[in-house]
Amino acid sequence: MKFFDDFFENKSRKIAQSSSRRGVLKKLGGAMIGVSAIPLLPVARAAEPVTAKVPQEEGDPASCDYWRYCAVDGYLCECCGGTYNTCPPGTEMSPITWIGTCRNPADGRNYVISYNDCCGKSSCGNCLCMRDEGDRPLYRADKSNDVNWCLGTDSIVYHCSTAVVVGLALDK
Amino acid sequence: MKYVFLLAAYFFSMHCAANEIDEQRAKYNYQMFCQGCHTPNGMGGESVPRINGFIGNFLTFPEGREFLVRVPGSAYSPLSNKELAEVLNWMVINFGGDSIPKDFKNYTENEIGALRLKPLNEIDNYRKELLSIIGL
Repeated sequence: MKFFDDFFENKSRKIAQSSSRRGVLKKLGGAMIGVSAIPLLPVARAAEPVTAKVPQEEGDPASCDYWRYCAVDGYLCECCGGTYNTCPPGTEMSPITWIGTCRNPADGRNYVISYNDCCGKSSCGNCLCMRDEGDRPLYRADKSNDVNWCLGTDSIVYHCSTAVVVGLALDK
Repeated sequence: MKYVFLLAAYFFSMHCAANEIDEQRAKYNYQMFCQGCHTPNGMGGESVPRINGFIGNFLTFPEGREFLVRVPGSAYSPLSNKELAEVLNWMVINFGGDSIPKDFKNYTENEIGALRLKPLNEIDNYRKELLSIIGL
């Protein structure tokens, strides 16, 4: 016990000699400001729950007027043995995609949609849907629908289109 | 005690530096104008160059730094100089990983404005040439 007594006595004497009481207040204030900055870190903001992942939805995903399909130009995978998020068996999802935004009537917000094509089988032929909102001519290649987006897949044969929500659009 | 203050100062400075990038806007612009080809995590594929863990290699020499702005996807993008600077900085920070040089400085709006006036017509061979300069 004597060790502890001596230890803390020495420490407190040293602190008393090397610092002022006002200095403590100053440092404490500084620390409080520093701590208040921490919750504003980009890390904390990035960790906030991403509501965009699971938007509320209404309507029939097998129908062309479903909200996610606002920029589709092709056959809906939902009618071809897949879903709006997944490719039918026997096809491969293209990693290179056409990206656009659609307004979700369920919450009135705009979402970024990735229209990944499913490739490797001949055209599905069901539920042809051509809404093409936001489609641009070929000179704006990254925003043109009229190119085959089966890129980066083993096969360039187009089968159907998915409509994957990738995030919340920024309202400008 | 000293370390607590240092830590607080460190976080505070990080907060100030990060303020230059609007995370939400930068991510949205990446999704809208880059992600379609460069893929969500920047890994690319086939003929689409990999950004993830690689982009920083271009920032180790002037021609490389200029290259990232002069490629068609950057130079001809519909983004303003300010937004393009922001999304490029965001890509470097988010995808660069170990490839980011220690002395990396953010692209500025003016720098972008000047560089995108010199767009590249041919990028495949030029990219290879550039990478050979740094032995890649």
